[in-house]
Amino acid sequence: MRAWAFALRSLLRQPARSGLGILGVTAVGTLLFDMLLLSRGLEVSFRHLLDATGFDVRVMAAELPFAGPRLTRATATAAAIARLPEVAAAVPIAVQRATARTGAGASTPLFLLGAGIGAPRPWVVAEGGDLPAEAGNPPAVMVNRRLAGSLHVRPGDVLMLSGPCGAEPSALPAVPFRIAGVAEFPFEEASQANAGMRLADLRRVCGKDADEADLLLVQSRDGVAASQTVQAIHAAQPELYAFSNAELVAQFEQAGFSYFRQISVVLATVTLFFGFLLITALLTVSVNQRFGEIAAVRALGFSRRRVVADVFCQSAVLVGTGGLLALPAGFALARWLDAILRSLPEIPARLHFFVFQPRALVLHLALMVVTAVLAALYPMRLVARLPIAATLREEVVS
Amino acid sequence: MSAPQVMSRPVTAAVETRGVSKVFPMAAGPVIAVRDVSLRIDAGEYVAVCGPSGCGKSTLLHILGCVEIPTAGTLRLDDQDVSSLDDAGRSAVRLAKIGFVFQRFFLLPMLTAAENVELPQAESGVRRAERRRRTAELLEYVGLSHRAHHRPSQLSGGEAQRVAIARALANRPRLLLADEPTGELDQATGDQVARLLERVQADGTTVVVVTHDPAIASRAPRRLMMRDGRIESDAR
Repeated sequence: MRAWAFALRSLLRQPARSGLGILGVTAVGTLLFDMLLLSRGLEVSFRHLLDATGFDVRVMAAELPFAGPRLTRATATAAAIARLPEVAAAVPIAVQRATARTGAGASTPLFLLGAGIGAPRPWVVAEGGDLPAEAGNPPAVMVNRRLAGSLHVRPGDVLMLSGPCGAEPSALPAVPFRIAGVAEFPFEEASQANAGMRLADLRRVCGKDADEADLLLVQSRDGVAASQTVQAIHAAQPELYAFSNAELVAQFEQAGFSYFRQISVVLATVTLFFGFLLITALLTVSVNQRFGEIAAVRALGFSRRRVVADVFCQSAVLVGTGGLLALPAGFALARWLDAILRSLPEIPARLHFFVFQPRALVLHLALMVVTAVLAALYPMRLVARLPIAATLREEVVS
Repeated sequence: MSAPQVMSRPVTAAVETRGVSKVFPMAAGPVIAVRDVSLRIDAGEYVAVCGPSGCGKSTLLHILGCVEIPTAGTLRLDDQDVSSLDDAGRSAVRLAKIGFVFQRFFLLPMLTAAENVELPQAESGVRRAERRRRTAELLEYVGLSHRAHHRPSQLSGGEAQRVAIARALANRPRLLLADEPTGELDQATGDQVARLLERVQADGTTVVVVTHDPAIASRAPRRLMMRDGRIESDAR
């Protein structure tokens, strides 16, 4: 009987204890797996969200968007950047708060996203059409599902949009827009009403003439790395801050994402420690109860290596089974926790906190293996150093 | 049934000690369990080791079985000096040449009787078909074929000890060492086990039995009486 089969039989000998051990490891493994999903989840999801817009560089007047001075001469700057050989498109983006109202009198606050119209668009059409290339009268607007649902409007309907676009109340008249289509905005919140329109139309709603934007979305040409585009923009517009998506993620990571990583490292370490203690305690108790048997099989000719391997295999079976069961449990728990965290205010609906990556699975398995080895060390040492004759004597006396 | 062992062997020493001593360092001072024991047990002999508690008979048995390393002296097993073997070497010797029977049986409770008998064979690399054949033969030899698939908890004390004897014989050892093999059994069952050991010896295996039981000891053709770690008498 090989060590694995022997270990399995030894564990089945105490099914309740082994079951509880596996259950404990499953719980530990579930938390560990979730911590691994969390540790880089936000970063990966944020990066995915940035990439999903189709733009790989963002240009701002400050180091973070919406946190500093706005870009002035936005249209001209976008045009200048678009002319760079590394750049395929540059779209100025401005975001303002406004109010939407229908002819029936229903109204709702919303965010207006004004964009320089070109290709690609900073939204994805879900229903109806996109903004036409030429300005129309009334001007066209894209609404998100939340807005369409709350005001019961659909493509072709007219929507009245008005400020205030700043902190102060506005007495500007509402501007009528015709809904061109329903769109998904990459960073929209689940409960947030959004509308997208031309930058010029946004200024009209807000009653502002200044050619300002919050940021420029830049798309590099095929074959050009984002870092090259960033360098080219720095050279051409040294007063601006240009960031590739990777740089932006790194910046956000320093600003806040790293907390999740730190929390997950701490919690993962604690859970692993508990797993280690649990398995060590289980195996030590099991070994202590079996000293006589172990001494007997050693007397029968089992090598020290073999009895040590038996203990290790028991640890591996406990941790391996619990670790594998932890994967589906971890996925289920991650879904639940993700839903809770995503329901927090101001969290983009498409942003996830728990994101699966093959790396997390590999790390999970590696950490479980390390735990199995470490947890088995002490009981393996007990078995390895077990004096055969003295143990047999003690067993008889006891 | 036919004996599982080869019947006739030349009279050579199955095990031989020269000046063997064993000292246990204790907090209150060293305890000399075995003192300068020189002993030759021929192949095929049946030897009983008797003596009062603490006289060193189990320690001597453990030394003969390569589970205890003597503090001084040499041990030859089957004409091989095993005194200087490392742990792995001693394990290999035990697996191939020595069978142990313990007072408390020490059958593995999660295995059936047949699996317990198979265990040493599996460890020494015997192929499954051969293991099965040998196990069936041994269980028949000890009269427990019908209990092959029972676990130790389902066996009586006498049955468990007979399975333990079958297990000890699994790898065709030259030397069978039994430490108080009837110590946990009633008189009648102890007699059965004693008869089985006699049969094992008659079939060619050297048997050394440590016992307190004068009735068991009296059945052995050779009796060693120990006192204070020494062999006081060696009666044939």
